Amino acid sequence: MPTGSSIYRFWRSKAAVTSAAHPDRAYPTTLRGQFRRHGPQYAIGTLTLAVSQLAMNRIDWKSKVAIDAIFGPAPATAWKPAALMLLLAVAAFVARVASRWFVFNAGRDAEYELRFELLRKLHQLGAAFYRKMPAGEIMSRSTSDLQQVRLLFGFGILNVLNVVFVFASALQIMLRVSPQLTLACLVNLPLVALVSRTISGQMFRRMRENQAALGHMSDVLQANLAGVRVVRSFALEERERQRFEQTNREYLNASLALAKLRGSFGPVIGSVAAIGVIIFFWYGSTLLLRGEGQGGVTQGSFFAFWSAFSRMTWPMISIGFAVSVVQRGRAGFGRLRDVFDAEPEVVDGPRRAPKHVSGSLTVDNLSFCHGARVVLDHVSLKVTPGESLAIVGRTGSGKTTLAMLLARLLPTPAGAVRIDGIDVCELPLASLRSAIGYAQQDAFLFSTTVSRNIGFALDDPDTSAAQERIREAAREAQVLEETLSLSEGFDTVVGERGVQLSGGQKQRIALARALVWEPKILILDDPLSAVDAKTESSILEAIERQAAARTVLLITHRVAAAARCDRIIVLDEGKVVEQGTHDELTRSGGIYAAFAVEQQMASELEEIAPPASAPLAIPVEASAT
Amino acid sequence: MTSKSPPGRAEQALRKFHEEGAIGKAYDARLLRRLWPFVRPHALLIALSLATLVVIAAINLGRPLLMGDVVRQAAVRKPGLLMRDGIGLALLLVVTQGLTFVQMYTMQMAGARAMADLRSEIFRLFQNLRLRYYDRTPVGRLVTRATNDVDAISELFASGALNAMGDVMALVGIVVMMALLDWRLAGVSFLALPVVGAIVHVVRGRSRAAFRDVRARTARLNAFLNEQVNGISVVQAFVRERAMSAEFDAVNVGYRDANKRSVYYDALLDAVIEMVSTLCIASILWFAGARHVHDPKITFALVVTFTQYIRQFFEPISLLSQRYTLLQSAMSGAERVFELLDEKDIVAPALAPEGCCAPGAADEAFALENVDFEYKPGVPVLRDVTFSAKRGERIALVGATGAGKTTVASLLLRLYEPQGGAIRVLGTDVRGYEPRALRRLFSVVPQDVFLFPGTVLSNIAIADEQADRGRAEEALRRIGALELFERRCGVDSAGGATSALDARVDERGQNFSAGERQLLAFARAIYRDAPLLILDEATASVDSDTEARLQRALEEVIRGRTSLVVAHRLSTIRAADRIVVFHKGHVVETGSHEELILRGGVYARLHRMQFAHEQATLAERLVHSEQRAVG
Repeated sequence: MPTGSSIYRFWRSKAAVTSAAHPDRAYPTTLRGQFRRHGPQYAIGTLTLAVSQLAMNRIDWKSKVAIDAIFGPAPATAWKPAALMLLLAVAAFVARVASRWFVFNAGRDAEYELRFELLRKLHQLGAAFYRKMPAGEIMSRSTSDLQQVRLLFGFGILNVLNVVFVFASALQIMLRVSPQLTLACLVNLPLVALVSRTISGQMFRRMRENQAALGHMSDVLQANLAGVRVVRSFALEERERQRFEQTNREYLNASLALAKLRGSFGPVIGSVAAIGVIIFFWYGSTLLLRGEGQGGVTQGSFFAFWSAFSRMTWPMISIGFAVSVVQRGRAGFGRLRDVFDAEPEVVDGPRRAPKHVSGSLTVDNLSFCHGARVVLDHVSLKVTPGESLAIVGRTGSGKTTLAMLLARLLPTPAGAVRIDGIDVCELPLASLRSAIGYAQQDAFLFSTTVSRNIGFALDDPDTSAAQERIREAAREAQVLEETLSLSEGFDTVVGERGVQLSGGQKQRIALARALVWEPKILILDDPLSAVDAKTESSILEAIERQAAARTVLLITHRVAAAARCDRIIVLDEGKVVEQGTHDELTRSGGIYAAFAVEQQMASELEEIAPPASAPLAIPVEASAT
Repeated sequence: MTSKSPPGRAEQALRKFHEEGAIGKAYDARLLRRLWPFVRPHALLIALSLATLVVIAAINLGRPLLMGDVVRQAAVRKPGLLMRDGIGLALLLVVTQGLTFVQMYTMQMAGARAMADLRSEIFRLFQNLRLRYYDRTPVGRLVTRATNDVDAISELFASGALNAMGDVMALVGIVVMMALLDWRLAGVSFLALPVVGAIVHVVRGRSRAAFRDVRARTARLNAFLNEQVNGISVVQAFVRERAMSAEFDAVNVGYRDANKRSVYYDALLDAVIEMVSTLCIASILWFAGARHVHDPKITFALVVTFTQYIRQFFEPISLLSQRYTLLQSAMSGAERVFELLDEKDIVAPALAPEGCCAPGAADEAFALENVDFEYKPGVPVLRDVTFSAKRGERIALVGATGAGKTTVASLLLRLYEPQGGAIRVLGTDVRGYEPRALRRLFSVVPQDVFLFPGTVLSNIAIADEQADRGRAEEALRRIGALELFERRCGVDSAGGATSALDARVDERGQNFSAGERQLLAFARAIYRDAPLLILDEATASVDSDTEARLQRALEEVIRGRTSLVVAHRLSTIRAADRIVVFHKGHVVETGSHEELILRGGVYARLHRMQFAHEQATLAERLVHSEQRAVG
């Protein structure tokens, strides 16, 4: 189809103009706003739909003229209406394609815009929202609910418009041929619409049940496979098999129930619609038999009526569908609104971004609660520019919460944290977070290349200068050699669907990502928990080099790491309980001193001289079973 | 087509990565042969369905004739015959629709049942794969095999790729009928056929490519969004919202445009078919008009019949090309499923007793003799490890992280096979046991306790179909955790829980703390009451209250059993009958606490340090920090 793709390219080029990527544009997030925004597309769609149905109407009429000519007095003149039919068919074709193009694309555009807005909103929302709405729930909204909304904007609207125009175009012919015959043929119209509405409603329910059964089965499978060691260790295979077989059976039953309904849809609707066809042939033939003079119809009229009536069958059925689509689209949109209407808990402060940040940090009586639990209790501390501070404490002592509050990744109380003397709540978020870089504990990597993961903070990670920085950071984080040994080196895609990395490798890549970043104040949250001792000391040197250029806060439970910092504070149950240098604290005999002794023992264990047989290097990751 | 600027290196790598595998064949006899064993039990249903298909095709072929006949009766003015034809037409329609239901439902019944059997087979394989297979394969991929891929195959039946047979019959039948009725008129009708065929072929080819593109992009779009949600804190901390938004926009635009392309070709195809059908009818009228002048055989009835045939002719054409797409995806699904089913890395069956090495002493509980083991070739984890336990003995394994302690436990359960040496449990080589029989001899408390979604009860009585509530409660009481869970249950009781045992456990037990999970695992071990206990002491931090509780519980669990404890706490180590010190895969010392102290080796050194430390006033503090020694 040569013209097909050239027409397509034409439309594409037009569409491309309207969609130049710009992160600051805003799209309407209401149904009404979206309708209004795509109004022109719907208008053209309506117009072309009207044109195509008008052409169909004329085709039907020309066929009447042709047939009456063939079987009437002047068969030789039949070519004229037939030739017109050919032209009209081409016109109808073009108009029909255009109508689909405009209306369906309006739906796709609405879907695109809503999805764009959705992610923007998700980027603004904070921990409070994500605690309330789990990731799976958010995903189901942004996939299946958004799909329902798109169907409403595309398929739903097209069908509603289509029904109107097809009915107008077909009824005009039918009524002109014979009002009685029209009435007789359409007697079952309400029944068709009702039946299709009922069945499609049920069908959507069964489809949901089917999806739920499939979801249940994959949950059971997921738990079985994720817990495969427990299943084997406890010899639970039989119990697990029964569990799986039950969900397997339930899924089978659900899909058969759906199949039964889906299978009966055509036959039931078809049978009901067939009533009309039978009435037509029976009553229509009677009228044909009567002849035009006695209130009957001509052969041409009979033919035209038949062809117009045939065109009505699908729209009749689709009324029921369209109603369901509109209903579900509105319901889906309601669920999307839960996201669109959520209030971000952390918002930009009123001040302008400061031109220069020197990197001094003051925390003054900072308290923070998770629900009823007090996580931080009147914490105060001071860090001068260029200083390095270690924050040490047990799990759950509030280290991470403190770090996140500094960068306002949680709702920081006003006045408690100051950077260069300015309350962090007064600053624009982007400038604050670029100044205070928090590299989180959990080494979350994105499913993209190693290079992109390390260069996450860079605006243009593909330039050769950036590539060099990325490489350098990888070297500093002791992950360069392993990266180069991957199949595609820095271009290897990692993550759930890509190459599986060990916990230690992930952590070191995440560290490299933080090293590339270079904010004025860098907070590293437990960057070494899955790294073995030898690598640790190399990495610590790299962190020390970082500390020379900026303020560094190192959250750790490793004394070896803390010892390299200028100052150490110890948190316990949300309070600062010890403060000082490594030497001071080890002498004082507090928690920190206990840590120190304990870890000395551990390193002692690591350093026992291996027996004579063979010195063996065992990577920590390989044996973590 | 997605972005305006030339894609960067990362983008190229990502595209390459997300590209779907090469387009599979739509028909692959080898795969169909492999499907057959699953389908055979339901072959009768399929045969019935296909037979019905033939009947339906035949009836459909007769319908236009009947319609023409109705018109003819009207022309010759015989109302009686008209009545007869009207009733005939009605019956024909109803019968066809009824048969269509039978045809579709029997086909789907056969298909869905065959697919359920296929899923059972896949599940059976999962239970037999060696653990090392799971070490290198993401769980998500395996779940996809049993769900999405099998569903793709089931489309063969559900959307009736097999029904293509009926479509082909209908096409051939219509051509033959039309040619028989009037070959010249038929010739005119089919004048356009080669052109239509070519158009449909080209457009459908593009539509298929667009559809594949849509699927690949859908996967990428959802993966991207999912990652943004899960990694939101990284995005926010690094202030990458705008950059991510822009990157997402490229994916989002790509997805939208791929869909638009797909919609365009689909609309084109539908419209082409409608147009050509009208063109055919117009040509017939034109030709009939020209011929009717001297040929009375061209009747109105004939025109009606021909028109109906033409309308019926184009239906299967558009269906056929859709089915081709489904057939392709079914084949690639089957390809992946059978590739999985071909996996050879499955657990070996038990050896006959005489095939194993010599049995051990009568009072031996378990023994390792010269065991070598590695997870990855070239990276030995255990080297020449030998030690044993008498019945009722308490053994503690001591050593740094990565020294191979946990591996010993896995080998005793035969979760992995050693590369060399022998392992005996209760005097018999582990290879001589049926794996499940071997594992029933053990209670295992792993370091990171895995809980199944369900209740506290179902997790304690993990192996029992009918859980014994009394015993489970007794187990909780014995480790002193009953009131702890009752307290927790009081909070949960909004969900209708009435006892500690009924408290709900979420996926992976994420609503329980590490300490609580550990206690549950202890209760599990007591409930199970197996003669051998493997306990991997947790290094995770717990509060001091839970810590004390865990210590007491541990004593209770160990009492009266042979136990192997991967120990981190000195108190646990000291209480052992024998201590095995591991270093980098080797056993460096074995003996009781006193013996090892006397020997003055590694253990003695460790202990001296610890002891000196405890002499200080930090005894209480130590309990907390000790667990963090190895991290």
